Amino acid sequence: MRIPGWTILLAALLLCACSGGEDPPAGAELKVYRHAMDGAPGSLDPARSNSIYTKFLTLNLYDTLYRYRYLARPYELTPNLASGMPSVSEDGLVYTIGIKRGVTFIDDPAFPGGAGREVTAHDFVYSIKRHFDPATLAAGAWLWQDRIAGLDEWKENGSDYDRAVTGLRALDDYTIQITLTRPFPQLVHTLAQDSAAIVPREAVEHHGREFPNQPVGSGPFRLVSIDSARAVLERNPDFRHEPFSLAAEGFDPVTQSGLGLEALEGAIPPFVDRLQIEFIAEDAARWTALMSGDVHFIKVPVTQFDRVLGSRDPIRVAPDFERDFRFEASRESGFVYTNFNLDDERIGYHPDPEQDRRNRALRCAIVKTFDWQRRNEIFYYGIGQVFPGIIPPVAAEFDATASQAYTQRDLEGARQLLADHGWTPENLPVLEYGFPSSVTERQMFEQFRDFMADIGYPRDKVQPLTFATYGDYARAYGQRQVMLVTSSWTMDYPDAENTIQLFYGPNGSPGSNSSNYNNEDYDRLYRRSAAMQPSEERTGLYRNMNELVIDDCASISGIARTLLFLWDRRAIMLPDRSFVGGFFLRFVDIDTPPSDGR
Amino acid sequence: MTLPGYILRKTLTAIPLLAGVTFISFLLMVHFGPDKTYELLGKNPTTEQIAEVRQQLGYDRPFLVRYTDYVRELATMDLGHSDSSGESVASLIARTLPVTAALVLPGFVLGNVLGVLLGMFAAWRRGTWPDRLVMGASVVGMSISFLVIIILLQVLLCTPWGFNWFPSRGWEVSGPVSYLYYVTVPTLALVLVTLGYNTRFYRAVMVEELGRDHVRTARAFGARPAEILFRHALKNSLVPVLTRFMFSIPLVIISGSLLLETYFGIPGIGKLTFDAITSGDQPVLKAVVGLTAVLFVLAQVLIDIFYRMVDPRVAGA
Repeated sequence: MRIPGWTILLAALLLCACSGGEDPPAGAELKVYRHAMDGAPGSLDPARSNSIYTKFLTLNLYDTLYRYRYLARPYELTPNLASGMPSVSEDGLVYTIGIKRGVTFIDDPAFPGGAGREVTAHDFVYSIKRHFDPATLAAGAWLWQDRIAGLDEWKENGSDYDRAVTGLRALDDYTIQITLTRPFPQLVHTLAQDSAAIVPREAVEHHGREFPNQPVGSGPFRLVSIDSARAVLERNPDFRHEPFSLAAEGFDPVTQSGLGLEALEGAIPPFVDRLQIEFIAEDAARWTALMSGDVHFIKVPVTQFDRVLGSRDPIRVAPDFERDFRFEASRESGFVYTNFNLDDERIGYHPDPEQDRRNRALRCAIVKTFDWQRRNEIFYYGIGQVFPGIIPPVAAEFDATASQAYTQRDLEGARQLLADHGWTPENLPVLEYGFPSSVTERQMFEQFRDFMADIGYPRDKVQPLTFATYGDYARAYGQRQVMLVTSSWTMDYPDAENTIQLFYGPNGSPGSNSSNYNNEDYDRLYRRSAAMQPSEERTGLYRNMNELVIDDCASISGIARTLLFLWDRRAIMLPDRSFVGGFFLRFVDIDTPPSDGR
Repeated sequence: MTLPGYILRKTLTAIPLLAGVTFISFLLMVHFGPDKTYELLGKNPTTEQIAEVRQQLGYDRPFLVRYTDYVRELATMDLGHSDSSGESVASLIARTLPVTAALVLPGFVLGNVLGVLLGMFAAWRRGTWPDRLVMGASVVGMSISFLVIIILLQVLLCTPWGFNWFPSRGWEVSGPVSYLYYVTVPTLALVLVTLGYNTRFYRAVMVEELGRDHVRTARAFGARPAEILFRHALKNSLVPVLTRFMFSIPLVIISGSLLLETYFGIPGIGKLTFDAITSGDQPVLKAVVGLTAVLFVLAQVLIDIFYRMVDPRVAGA
């Protein structure tokens, strides 16, 4: 039989293709680290950054004044572009910050001659001003609004970048001075956020709308390409040469000695030539990518917890995975909670004091009926940490000894509360449980309805309120149209003020206080604590506020999820998804370059 | 009517069709579509900031003004910038469309060619066990979810549990070999998922054609099976075959590739469209919806022209 020539050619090509072929993808000789994220970033303009996925990229493309020490737990701030920690005036209002000399932006056509110029204090001032320019569509203004003197007026006067702001000045090329309207001890934390990353004005003006896709920063990496599937970054050869120091990064030999980090001592980060960040939202695809060696790191999908874990208490990886992978269980820096919309008279505040009391009793009955243990078992594999209130375990102010009564199911107590306050199946209000459309959210709603049925809440009186997208959902609860608002909060910095503000009255919807909680005592304590440096007294105030939220049954709260990380043993690192976040990628090293050419 | 005149007439009749499609799609997907405002806002927005973002996005402008702008943008191909990434929509489409075309083309062509061949084979052996085998296999293929096929193929061909010959994700194409390296598994998935549907459709067409008088006459004259199938049956059934083929193209390009792109990490237009829909990225959404409508209308015009070419009766009419 005669075999056609084209079939032989095709077979030969396929054989070559199986091994990656004679034209392997570019970068096969480089030291490449491939990191999988379970979501994709939005705009790479730091001013518009508002997700952890974006943060992973922007923190590597741009510089911030401060960052968190790579290995220190609890998390600690350390200078990044700043030359040291700020000097603060006695009244806590004036911060003076020096920045390192000789740091340059990457080369870009925006600069004369295309060569990156030195980063100066003026660039920082410009970068913060951008948040107050409506044309930027910025997301970070809330961090400094009403806090930095003159910024709000600058905006009201037309956001003219050539006009000075009284509270935000470059004293010279290397010195920044920030003047606050009132003490704000968390200011330095905000300067470690990617929103505070430093961009050059020339590049923003030169690239215009395309600036997010042509990032011009002074970070450890520069962008090679980005699309809906991945971002490719390469080492910034001009990144400042600062040797890696285990001591400076807070290395703990007891808990961190098995990671191979000791070999990095004295080396100059970033350690890899290329950083490839894959955006893989689908659990099955993320898992396959790790197993096939196409990525070095994944956040383990909940569907694979059973397989990956050898033990849940204590959390231990299964022996099958120990040979090829390293493992880390990390508590999320935030929590999941369901707020009652207290602006809704059916369940929240009511002008009639008697009805107001009945509504509070109803909320407390619902809280008592909610079964956190089952929620944890079914949706978080039983390894989340349930805690009472709004100060999550990752915060230093968390009270591990607090009573757990608020999160323990008490059906008898719930029924009694309803009976004592005249609630019957006939006069109970319809509960509208809001969520963006997804299978998991729907399952959570069904479980909630099932919980409520246990105290005789008619099933037809617990209704889903679904929204096509998260944006639509956020709009609805921002407009106070959702009775039960389930959401999660990821802390921006390791200070419980970041979650305490979620129940501060003036932050009511469309602000971050989606419960529209409005308690004068709470607000007074919040204002008092807001000016205080970390101290036992301030922690006491935070805990008092936590108690107020619990007493008022303003929220069914909460659970801090446990995230499982699994990574190729060749990758030398301690991954982090919370405050260190994207900062750790500059410290990742690969033991041996991948040999498969992928 | 001459061919150029025919094309001109078809093109002119496409204009009101395009206007209707763009208007309805604008109304449903853009005017009543997802609101991007709250995804762009920071964590603790004020009412004033919400109003500013809405103004920047143009949400506060009257419906007719927005629709007129949309039509103008489509006509001038000045499609604006993505609300999510800030990238020019024209450059996004120019970057992603060729990737999707390269991704789905082999599977699309193979799925149809194999479907025609298997359909012809089953029709020729109608009622016998090979026919039942092909039809049974087609039903099995149609019954398995696309997602299951993708995951099975990935495990089989892309992981150490299977042969580990191909990558589970990526698209770093720099030549024919790397193209085959990345496209083989997605192509297999696409062929497997479409082959059942195609085979059943083409078999039905061929069965009808093989029962006609001219085929019986050809058989009576002792024509060989291949001659009967390809020359007398296939050629005469090209109208439904072409219709299915042409109308599949816009669907395959825009939506058919979504799962492949998502699970194989391929930056094509399917994923771009899906992300635009779920995130409310209206400039991208408007462009894709508009261009899909244009593609459909174009397919319609091309089909009419092909009809004239393959079937003289259409030209005569």
